[in-house]
Amino acid sequence: MSVQNLILGLSRFWADQGCYLAQTYDLEVGAGTMTPDTFFRVLDKRPWRVAYVQPSRRPDDGRYGENPHRVQKHFQYQVIMKPSPADIQDIYVRSLKSLGVALEDHDLRFDEDNWESPTIGAWGVGWQVLLDGLEITQFTYFQQCGGIDLTPVPVEITYGLERLEMFLEQKDDIYDLDWSADVTYRDLRFREEKEFSEYNFSAAGVTMLRQAFGACQKEAARLVGKNLLLPAYDMCLKCSHNFNLLDSRGAISVTERVKMISQIRALVNDIARRYTAAKEGA
Amino acid sequence: MDFLLELLTEELPASHIRSALDQLDAGFRKELADARIEAHSLKTLATPRRLVVAGDFAEGQENREEVVTGPPLAVAKGPDGALTQAGKGFARSQGVDESMLEVVRTARGEYLGFKRRAKGTPTAEILRAAVPRVLASLSFPKMMRWAESPFRFSRPIHGLLCVFGGAPVETAFEGFKATDETVGHRILSPGPVKASDFAAYQAALEKSFVVIDPAARKKMIISQIEAALAPLKAKVYPDAELLDDLTLNVEHPHVVFGSFPEAYLSLPLEVLATAMREGQKLFSVVREKKQLPYFLGVADAAEDAKGLVRRGNERVLRARLEDARFFWDQDRKVPLRERAAGLKNVLFQEKLGSYEDKAQRLKKIVAYLCDKVGAAEVKADAVEAAALCKADLLTEMVKEFSGLQGRIGGLYAEQEGFPVAVHQAIYEHYQPGSLEDASPASLSGAVLSLVDKLDSIVGAMGVGLQVSGSSDPFGLRRNAHGVCKVVLDRKFRFSFPLLLDRILSSYGDRLTLERAVVKAGCLEFFAGRLRFILEKKGFRYDLVGAALGPGIDQVTDVLARVEALEALKSSPQFEPFILMAKRINNILKGLPPAKVNSDLFAEKEERDLFSTLSIIRDNAQPMIARGDYVRAQGIIFKLQPVLNTFFDKVLVMTEEKSVRQNRLGLLQSINKMLLGIADYSLVVVEGDKPAKPKASR
Repeated sequence: MSVQNLILGLSRFWADQGCYLAQTYDLEVGAGTMTPDTFFRVLDKRPWRVAYVQPSRRPDDGRYGENPHRVQKHFQYQVIMKPSPADIQDIYVRSLKSLGVALEDHDLRFDEDNWESPTIGAWGVGWQVLLDGLEITQFTYFQQCGGIDLTPVPVEITYGLERLEMFLEQKDDIYDLDWSADVTYRDLRFREEKEFSEYNFSAAGVTMLRQAFGACQKEAARLVGKNLLLPAYDMCLKCSHNFNLLDSRGAISVTERVKMISQIRALVNDIARRYTAAKEGA
Repeated sequence: MDFLLELLTEELPASHIRSALDQLDAGFRKELADARIEAHSLKTLATPRRLVVAGDFAEGQENREEVVTGPPLAVAKGPDGALTQAGKGFARSQGVDESMLEVVRTARGEYLGFKRRAKGTPTAEILRAAVPRVLASLSFPKMMRWAESPFRFSRPIHGLLCVFGGAPVETAFEGFKATDETVGHRILSPGPVKASDFAAYQAALEKSFVVIDPAARKKMIISQIEAALAPLKAKVYPDAELLDDLTLNVEHPHVVFGSFPEAYLSLPLEVLATAMREGQKLFSVVREKKQLPYFLGVADAAEDAKGLVRRGNERVLRARLEDARFFWDQDRKVPLRERAAGLKNVLFQEKLGSYEDKAQRLKKIVAYLCDKVGAAEVKADAVEAAALCKADLLTEMVKEFSGLQGRIGGLYAEQEGFPVAVHQAIYEHYQPGSLEDASPASLSGAVLSLVDKLDSIVGAMGVGLQVSGSSDPFGLRRNAHGVCKVVLDRKFRFSFPLLLDRILSSYGDRLTLERAVVKAGCLEFFAGRLRFILEKKGFRYDLVGAALGPGIDQVTDVLARVEALEALKSSPQFEPFILMAKRINNILKGLPPAKVNSDLFAEKEERDLFSTLSIIRDNAQPMIARGDYVRAQGIIFKLQPVLNTFFDKVLVMTEEKSVRQNRLGLLQSINKMLLGIADYSLVVVEGDKPAKPKASR
């Protein structure tokens, strides 16, 4: 058992469901939802099935490598199915069985949990999936993205890979997980967690981050004007990450926080509007 | 005949299930009543995946008899009693035998006619249209779309089972044709289950690990908990809300009993209970008010033979408790006063600013209210608590366990050595969370709780956030109930409108609406909430309306007034007095104010009335001022005989304008005094007759 085998297992399973296996997006994001393979692809009417691993960065969750569950970067396994298949819950249950979980010996629950991301103007309705009390998946019927009502409705399934692997290996400490036969999670990530926690909470340059936020915001607006929507969206992702870093540095006041989030959302909503308008026109 | 309906869905939130069952019950009762079909029984049941209606309905509508009226008897029959051409024609055109014809007596005279038996529609046919209509009318606080349909529901739908009298009803809903088939438990028995009536349905599902009746599941949970705890002589920490939610979260309950390391028992009870409850939904276990290192969870399972569910939950709980212990140790390193400085970075509401701004307002208003309600001795402590009460929003503990807000701040304040009146006020300032919840036990806590809630209400209404139907995003109703409960429980006496003025001005220029508009809106909103609370306490709606008539200068007076009305309503003077008050009210309706000039009194009876009024008013006013409405009302009853004589002997609407105005003025001053006690015109009494004709005035 290893994280690597888990990724292979899920990839095999979702490829068999007709998902295209995308590769990890090469920018810092807070969730798999924010990458273009989800964000842009859910906006239009075309059927879409995709699965991919996406590292998720949450600077505020850093614990210097000292907390057995909490890390400032973790790995999500992201699945999008559009339109949502009628038997998607059954498919999901089968995915757990395919990983070797004998569900009749466990307690599987779909527990009300509605998801939203104000930064990208997105929200959905669904559950957190609990296995013996442990949250292993976020299961969401997307209702809106970039401020646009989504039709057909995509379903998003996001597995927390570390959580799930801790369950499968029955381990209490994230750093005790095996990534592969020879490489442990500790080998790969411990130093990174320690250094990035220090960076996120203490060392990150506030002035530089503010300038970067402003510069990316301007650039995004300029690119929107040239109708270069994908590069413009990348700039929004950079804004979002800079914002998260500033936040974990404790450098954002009340009024600023509201203003900055709404600035990013306005850009993202504008991009989504132009993207769908162009699609419909074509 | 047996009716059964099951809507199979994906897992519904517990609150949605409760609301859906109420709507289904009301919807089917109305459909059946409208269609004149008798429901011998009707009940609703549910699991997280099923909404169920079961009942025993009449087979069809009653057959009805209707009278068909033809030509007048004089035309239809000749002098000899035989049918004329017109009479025969009528029988022919209606297709009835002439022997069926009879005489029909109406208000307009006698006619030829006959009785026709109309056959009632079968219930199955009525249900065909009624079922989809009721289902489509279900609404939820948050609705969603799925796949490619624009239809909105709580969660996606998977099937419709609907049988009446043993056969599927020929109906469909959102593309699902009604059948006599459903499925069993998602994991334990996912195959098909067939059922043609409720008894068979319940039995077949039970075999498939689904207990359809929530009451039965609740019983299972309770008895399994008792069995698990009996050897320990311990009890589960009572949590009715959690029990109700869990009952609606599982199709087949299995109670799991687990433990955690004793070392965590050093954490406060509140922290332990919250760590178990929030997210993981576990019950905590106590013996003689002391926490034991055990928990109880409810799994959706048949058993836990290998102990995997227990071990899994133990592992998750241990991690949460470890976090909680870390937070408890870390948080206490920063004193609350220092932490409170960071509130300027925590948003209270977008337009209303930060929690630092809120704390500043609370300090001012708490000081003001302490003086008003005779709480001067705790004023300094209550103000200190106001400054610190929101500081725990910045603790790691609250970030992780939001349900500990307030309580954890109080515990930290206690650890720091603040006086009881300070830390208890912080601990209690979110109380009461509902009308059923207890008010703060401390005086400082009661003042702070009231001011905190009222500040939120005024602010929200001041920027246009409104309550509408089921939507109450800012919790205004809950907060208003809390305010009313604290005031009534504590019998706080203070001018409510003046307190609103204080709070309005404490917001400076932050509010987007005019202060006068916000104040009027708040008063109206509170009048509505008080009406709700008093009617819930069992007071008659008309008495509540009458008690609210004088307004809510003193919140406690509204209760005192309705209690007085309740106490006096069965006295013999009550009804004649109410009728008299209504009569005065009717006479004065729509008239401009008039002055009383004692020189213009022409009759002895009006002079008598005037002097009795002065005496009664002088006596009643101090009673009203201290809120003694039983005695105040007792005294004003004495007006009634004098008024009676007045109406008997004196013509109010006399020709002479100045005398008439003077008499109206006298009645107006009586009415004004009455309206300070209750709006009697709203009280419903037996002898309530329509207004008397003008001539008798």
